[in-house]
Amino acid sequence: MAFVLRKIGLFLLTLWAAVTLNFLLPRMMPGSPTDAAIAKLAQNGPVTDATRKAIEAQLGVPDGNIFEQYLGYLHQVITLDFGVSYTFYPQSVSEMIWQAFPYTVILVGFVTIIAFVLGTLIGVLTAWKRNTWLDALPTLTGSFASTFPYFWTALLLLFFAGYVFHLFPTSGAFGPTASPAMTWEFFVDVLYHAALPALTILITSLGGWIIGMRNAMINTLGDDYVTFAEANGLKGRTVAIRYAARNAILPNLTGFGLALGGVVGGSVLVEQVFGYPGIGYLLFNAVIGQDYPLMQALFLMITVSVLIANFLVDIMYGVLDPRTRR
Amino acid sequence: MTNSKTRTKRMSVIAGISVVVLLISACSIQIKSEPDPSIPDDTMLIAADKGSPMFEKIFNPYLFNKRIAASYIYEPLTAVNVLDGTQTPWLAEKVALTDARTIDYTIRRGVTWSDGEKFTPDDVAFTFNLIKKYPTLDIKGAWQHIESVETDGDHVIVHLKDDDAPAADVISLTLIVPEHIWKDVEHPDTWRDEDPVGTGPFTLGNFSSQQYTLDKNQNYWQADKVQIQHLVLPAATSELDIVTKGFDWAYSFMSNVEGTWGAANPDNKNWFPPGGVISLVPNLDKAPWDNVDLRRGIALALDKDKIADAATEEYMSKAGQTGLMLPNQKSELNPEIPNSGVIEQNTDAALASLAKAGYTLVNGTLVDANGKPFTFSVTTANGYTDWLRAIQEVRKQLSAIGIDVTIKQPQPAGYQQAIQNGDYEVAMGGMGGGNVFQAYNSLLSSEFHVKNGELAPSNFERYSDPQTDALLAEYKATIDPAKQLEISHQLQQIVYDQLPVIGLYYGGLWGLYNTSKFTGWPTAEDPYAPPQTYDSSPLLIFTKLKLATKDGE
Repeated sequence: MAFVLRKIGLFLLTLWAAVTLNFLLPRMMPGSPTDAAIAKLAQNGPVTDATRKAIEAQLGVPDGNIFEQYLGYLHQVITLDFGVSYTFYPQSVSEMIWQAFPYTVILVGFVTIIAFVLGTLIGVLTAWKRNTWLDALPTLTGSFASTFPYFWTALLLLFFAGYVFHLFPTSGAFGPTASPAMTWEFFVDVLYHAALPALTILITSLGGWIIGMRNAMINTLGDDYVTFAEANGLKGRTVAIRYAARNAILPNLTGFGLALGGVVGGSVLVEQVFGYPGIGYLLFNAVIGQDYPLMQALFLMITVSVLIANFLVDIMYGVLDPRTRR
Repeated sequence: MTNSKTRTKRMSVIAGISVVVLLISACSIQIKSEPDPSIPDDTMLIAADKGSPMFEKIFNPYLFNKRIAASYIYEPLTAVNVLDGTQTPWLAEKVALTDARTIDYTIRRGVTWSDGEKFTPDDVAFTFNLIKKYPTLDIKGAWQHIESVETDGDHVIVHLKDDDAPAADVISLTLIVPEHIWKDVEHPDTWRDEDPVGTGPFTLGNFSSQQYTLDKNQNYWQADKVQIQHLVLPAATSELDIVTKGFDWAYSFMSNVEGTWGAANPDNKNWFPPGGVISLVPNLDKAPWDNVDLRRGIALALDKDKIADAATEEYMSKAGQTGLMLPNQKSELNPEIPNSGVIEQNTDAALASLAKAGYTLVNGTLVDANGKPFTFSVTTANGYTDWLRAIQEVRKQLSAIGIDVTIKQPQPAGYQQAIQNGDYEVAMGGMGGGNVFQAYNSLLSSEFHVKNGELAPSNFERYSDPQTDALLAEYKATIDPAKQLEISHQLQQIVYDQLPVIGLYYGGLWGLYNTSKFTGWPTAEDPYAPPQTYDSSPLLIFTKLKLATKDGE
């Protein structure tokens, strides 16, 4: 119990630090939200003083000194009311996030889980069958694919599968004439549009899981208790899964916690390339537009979800590995 | 073990080869435009509005976040061709200045709102009073000039605060909204206006977050001039989309436009008229940039042809020092200014002018009176690649006369803050564009002059000169076009002599259009409107385009 309490205390302290940093960081960027809006307008022609004032008034740009702003912000965090977005005025921040959230969670979340499960299983397999083609093929292709940066894979897939061969749509989360509804057609449409971004994430992240699991597995397979289990005449699969894999999975599980927390942040680059209306794209817009309210809410979501994911992994570690409970 | 190693090696070879094949095939792929066959001949696919990445349904024409098509639905009193400043009477049949502080709008009869109600002068007066009551809606700043508005039969009389004749050009651009709908709106400053009712050529059709359509307003007061039946505006308007999806009209800079847009379809055309003068903006409140000889020296040292070529891939040409956009504003040009205002590169003259400012060339380095090398920084916005390429060329050319230029590139918001607060030595910026008086006024008027560290609304270079102010005031007080032209000539002379900013090249308006379905696009020969998809230009263009299939009639 003391273990759990200690973890909760640490969690709360980190949470406060993250929340405060989250407030300070956007304000250290040069320029104000009005400047960002004007810079955008100025590309279409000269912007007058009057326009500036009108935009300032429309946005209701931050007032009060930094301390007052901080208190207001803390109040927002507690009540989960982040006010009106600057870049998407007059819409509220929560409205924007609720719109984007499902797409990212479905796309990135789903793919991350698939990649983890698939990668870990393949990792176990490659380690168990090491130095056969069952090892070489996944390990090689995995490490080859994971060295590609996200956006490069994304661009290649977009260009060839989307623009050249017209296999998949090139942007959006659903067809231009579809409207979100709880129908089978819409669901299929969403899956069709998610295919390329999902494939990108899968291709680039699968290799990491395979190799991580394989290496941990190979280490464990050399341990005495595995040899002992084998010597006792246990079945190969039982030894691999129940004995070796259970211990080898620990480092991968940490990675999974981090990745799962990162899901909420979306995949900024992938969503950007595929024009996918998720949290990652929203975050990009918020940063470009110096949209403090939206940025604060998004970064808060991201940090909190990473913290929670790590907290859960910590607890899970305690269950899987009794040594860490001490 | 050996076996697996050979296999590993073999596999990496195969992988390597496939990557090379992939790259080679990528080089030889020619992207073709493939229009959606379900789009009929009277429907225009237009890349005007970019989703982020989805569309929000906001048609309130006064919000800065509005959908672009709000200005195809709501109309102004006059439509302006920003290339030369020509005003076309629109919802006002006639605009007359009674004197320098009274504008008399004769409101057009026979116009109806798209819901069938009659459009009246009261709607105009209501609109002005609406944006007075909610200053956040006054996005063009009409009430900085207006004292009061009254209606008189078919007339709407606008009284100005002061002698301010050029203000008419700003006020006339106000988009007019229907009183019978807007009077019941509780918070017009945050209202999204999801069901817009306007007087314009189009009404809103289907709206989804990734594409919306507009249908021709069958009761439009110029219905006979509009042949387009529908507009389709998708949210996905990346360059690849524009080239491959058969757009009829797009507004976008595209690298190698002949090889991309032009090669995708034989009917794809482009027209890039000048939209402003991209300039070096020295901070005149910071020594040594208060010295005009230094500014002239720098101007003389630069080969602006090369800068224009580097910045715009040779699409735009070098600009004159008057701030005018040629050839469109040719009638405005002061004939006494040599070479149409272009200051040609002349290194000897440049060094002479720099010497007059106290800088001499010693061992290939330009040094001041104390022997300290002369260096300065140029601030631009991160991501504005044409500006960056221009500065890199400037740096190259100035290093030839021993000046070391450094480049600062904050994010656009940071750049905006830097130029507003005077937190820069030299910046990139635009001058001119649109209305001649407004351009000179915002460039030169000491009304906008503030010290470094304070926020300047315009006049970022911080220019201040009583004689110029007097000329600007005189311009405001006259309604005689001949007199206005005379003052304009003098203002050009001042900008040419004093170099408050150093003109480099024309920024382009990047119009891409396709002539297979629609003809009558504005071109260099017939520059009736800039090819831009925003503000009042589309109104001028939509009422001019003809269906290509009807050509034979």
